[in-house]
Amino acid sequence: MPRPWYGPAVAVLAVLVTVSACGTPSERRDRVTEDVTSFERALDAGQRARLCAALAPSTREELEQAAKSRCEQAIGEQDLPRAGAVRSVDVYGDQARVVLEHDTVFMARFPDGWKVTAAGCRPRPQQPYQCEIEGG
Amino acid sequence: MRAAPEPRGGTAPARHRVRRFLRHNSLGLFFMTTFLLALSGQAVAGHAEFNNQLVADGMAPIGFGAYLTTSDFGVDVTENWQSEYLQFFLYIFATVYLLQRGSPESKGLGRAGTESDEDQMVGEHAADDSPRWAAARDWRTAVYSRSLGLVMGTIFLLSWLAQSVTGVAAYDEQQLRQLQAPVSWAEYLFSADFWRRTLQNWQSELLAVASMAVLAIYLRQRGSPESKPVGASHSATGVEG
Repeated sequence: MPRPWYGPAVAVLAVLVTVSACGTPSERRDRVTEDVTSFERALDAGQRARLCAALAPSTREELEQAAKSRCEQAIGEQDLPRAGAVRSVDVYGDQARVVLEHDTVFMARFPDGWKVTAAGCRPRPQQPYQCEIEGG
Repeated sequence: MRAAPEPRGGTAPARHRVRRFLRHNSLGLFFMTTFLLALSGQAVAGHAEFNNQLVADGMAPIGFGAYLTTSDFGVDVTENWQSEYLQFFLYIFATVYLLQRGSPESKGLGRAGTESDEDQMVGEHAADDSPRWAAARDWRTAVYSRSLGLVMGTIFLLSWLAQSVTGVAAYDEQQLRQLQAPVSWAEYLFSADFWRRTLQNWQSELLAVASMAVLAIYLRQRGSPESKPVGASHSATGVEG
């Protein structure tokens, strides 16, 4: 009996579709760079609504609870540095770290795109980054 | 329109051939089928656990198809594969030289080593139905004489490599989620996470082999080629049921 030829072809196609749906690593890095640059531009321009829209839900919620005010007001009270140019981007799965000249930003992918999970982060030896804003 | 009945002579032998094929290959078919079922179960449970963790960390859950392409699923699968192939590679290789008195897993005492060409039916001692490479009397015989160990060893190394690649990606994804710096592949090879995953699998495989080699000295399973015949003495070595 001849072996069906389409089995392996379907498997390869399924993998290709899945990979292309998630994007290649370089595409994801480009997307993250684009989104973090847009976040920094909004920060420079003081566009608080855009900054809040770029935050991950848990980060936004944590910010509002800590400040006991709406995100648009609370984010203006944060001491987020002027970050400068992007130096390096690390993307693993749905998580990313962007190291800029004067800041480090963490991002995660959500159904509506990459969102900032933490910003204003400084490295600490043997411990997680210390961040001005982060999720709970 | 009613289909004309198939001639009895055409279907009966075909059905008989299928049944005979299933009976003669039931061992391989059973394990391949249960492997696929277990892998599917692992994927379903792993997906649920992964999403629980994502939601607890304030992230969005992912679909089942997306989970199958994650490094988290990849490392969970490959860390077990590598240890299983290492187990078989070591067993195949170690039983050439090492013996266990009274064990059906061991060759007879005094037969340690690669044995004579006559015992192994190679070169001029090959039979008419021997594999062609067993009779070749050149490099092909040398390669074919070690092919089982070579293939098992190669699959082990490739699975271990895959574990390290998927492992560093899964580890770094977790690091970023916890606002910690990622590590490189080379750094990961010296990390506690890599060796914890590796050694927790190795120890269980080695224990299983050691207990099989020793328990089979004293215990029996009637009809199993992995056991001595029920009435064989405890000191009988290299006897299979």
